[in-house]
Amino acid sequence: MSTPPDQQRREESAGLMEYSTESLVPFGPIHPALKEPEYFKLILEGERIVNVIPRIGYVHRGLEKAAESRPWVQNMYMFERTCGICSFVHSLCYGQAVEELTLYQVPRRAKYIRTIIAEMERIHSHLLWVGLMGHWAGFDTLFMWVWNDREVVLDLVEAIAGNRVHKSMNAICGVRRDMPENMTDRILERMKFLTDRARYYREVIDTEETMLKRTENLGRVSAETAEKLCAVGPMARYVGLKHDVRLNDPYAAYDEVPLDVITSNEGDVHALLKLRLDELIVSANIVSYAVKNLPDGPVRVKVPPIIPAGEHASHCEAPRGEIFYYVKSTGGRTPDRVKSRQPTMANIPTALEMLKGQTLADIPIVLTAIDPCFGCMDRMSFYDTETNKKWTWSGEQLRQYGINYYFPERAKQQRKFARQMGSSVNESLREAL
Amino acid sequence: MPTRKVGAVIPEMFRHMLEKPTTEAYPFKPIQLTERFRGKLDIDPAKCTGCQVCSLVCPASVITMVDLGTRKVGDRELKVRRPLFDLTSCIFCGECVDNCAFNALELSKQFEIATPNKADLLMNKAVVK
Amino acid sequence: MSETLVQVGKYAEEAGTKVNPLRKNESLVEVSQDRLKEFVNHLVNDSHVRHLMTITGLDLGQNLAITYNFALERDKIHVRTTVPKTKPQALSIVDIVPGAILYEMELHDMFGIDFIGNPWKDQKLLLPDEWPADLAPPLLKTTKPSEIRRRLGLEAAKP
Repeated sequence: MSTPPDQQRREESAGLMEYSTESLVPFGPIHPALKEPEYFKLILEGERIVNVIPRIGYVHRGLEKAAESRPWVQNMYMFERTCGICSFVHSLCYGQAVEELTLYQVPRRAKYIRTIIAEMERIHSHLLWVGLMGHWAGFDTLFMWVWNDREVVLDLVEAIAGNRVHKSMNAICGVRRDMPENMTDRILERMKFLTDRARYYREVIDTEETMLKRTENLGRVSAETAEKLCAVGPMARYVGLKHDVRLNDPYAAYDEVPLDVITSNEGDVHALLKLRLDELIVSANIVSYAVKNLPDGPVRVKVPPIIPAGEHASHCEAPRGEIFYYVKSTGGRTPDRVKSRQPTMANIPTALEMLKGQTLADIPIVLTAIDPCFGCMDRMSFYDTETNKKWTWSGEQLRQYGINYYFPERAKQQRKFARQMGSSVNESLREAL
Repeated sequence: MPTRKVGAVIPEMFRHMLEKPTTEAYPFKPIQLTERFRGKLDIDPAKCTGCQVCSLVCPASVITMVDLGTRKVGDRELKVRRPLFDLTSCIFCGECVDNCAFNALELSKQFEIATPNKADLLMNKAVVK
Repeated sequence: MSETLVQVGKYAEEAGTKVNPLRKNESLVEVSQDRLKEFVNHLVNDSHVRHLMTITGLDLGQNLAITYNFALERDKIHVRTTVPKTKPQALSIVDIVPGAILYEMELHDMFGIDFIGNPWKDQKLLLPDEWPADLAPPLLKTTKPSEIRRRLGLEAAKP
């Protein structure tokens, strides 16, 4: 910290992708001023963010090391538990990587069932995300309604797989359970219901002043930056890049179902909302088609517990982006190396670029827009270069700050209400006001 | 260009006020479970032969085999083993159910299994005769 | 996409190696450290293989292998280079592919490979701050999980 603060500030905001060491304020992760290491350290200039330094790994469980001492099938259950919302795609990608090393083919009916469950998981994940965006924007009504509709797809998954979250449906070379009898009509009816609801929410987001004010013209990144930083999933598609693993490298039954990859030209958080809702409608369409055209045959091929030697990498399209699994076998009962790369890790550099130039009140919206999957945004620390102040906020305090910034009349009413209630004032509210 | 307005959700709000709530009435009413619901593991001791395949495939190391002595078959002494289940670690995957050649295991519909005593979840039905 | 593979074959020849087709739509190119950046430059800027999926580390006994996993439509191209365990230093490619920055930080944490040229190379990404300095990186074959648990002061989990 030997350079004076205004020179540091100038160097930091000098252009994108200038990674010289002088432009970063040496502010942690280990720093005597911090009480504990934080997720993001944000360096501000007044109200605007100038630089962001990430620190992840708080839920790192060492799964890659643990996989080296477990049999192949048991690893499938372990990797399924990497994430709750995209658990099926994790076990699917691992299964595909291992299947290529055996000499067995996956039956066609199993591929269709995998497609159906993967698309239902995408519908579930996008509904959850739209609700979370409503919550962080202060629009809790949308949050409650969307999560109510989410129960529809979770009930369907429970009827097929038995569990709502960790579906445990995948096996090496197949799926473990067949579709139940007489599900077709129920699935078709519910997909139509979800399509209608997604269209309604899309209309609400386009017209409701609350959502528009908080999401318009926010979080812009150029298409070239997103491509250079290897963004995946909706983060690449919302700036116009047509990156979708289902289209570029089809797996499961995606080369036989009607797939429509949605891209957007507007490039802000509002476009991300519309993009994910459109993807939901496409997913519902895929599920309806696959259920009507399900081929006959077996759903599983039994594979011996020893996988031949070799290495293979496989990638799939999770709701958040591209998942990557690399598997190396030396011909034993346990793998030699398993590498898994989650989509949020690929999106973090793009997210950091999205945050630069935004105001403090917009942080929760922008961070939720990348659909992060690394625990909740529990703590963030801030350092203001203009006033030389450092402070920490929890997620709830930041959310309240953002709501009060955009809707000051609501803040005034809340202050009046707090005064009337006397001593039972929310501590974070007082701080945020 | 759609018109911007405040309160685009008000008609839907009125509809919700007139309908009954969507919250499940559990625990005051029983909850509907699907046919494939995965609840607590259950064993039929009469069918179990102690082949220990379930113990070998369990991803969560729930099943340990307990030695219960030996028995004579012809002129050989064969070990008798039976499984002991520590259901506090069970992840309800169903691998043991799928791999049991004698259909001795099943995932029941019982889900209200939270308890402050770890001993309640130690299933030793097959071990004690 | 076959023209891209033909071009990749030409760059591999220039770098003194050849393309090893692992199976349909997947190939592996082993390059030495001094020819790596030139090869990756050709791949990214001339053949437009822009998407780097991730960077994978492998423990090969005496050496550590760094594999850059690129993807272009249906093809996956793996570029592999090795560094000795006694001197685990490699050249960073963040000036060609800026998106590689976090993957290199992860390899530094997990395998102990030092990427020269990475601006955040000395910061920890995934490991906890109280990781002992004399404990070997976790993903090496010689580091045992029980040793990690003991040194970090965690209770021994079920065996």
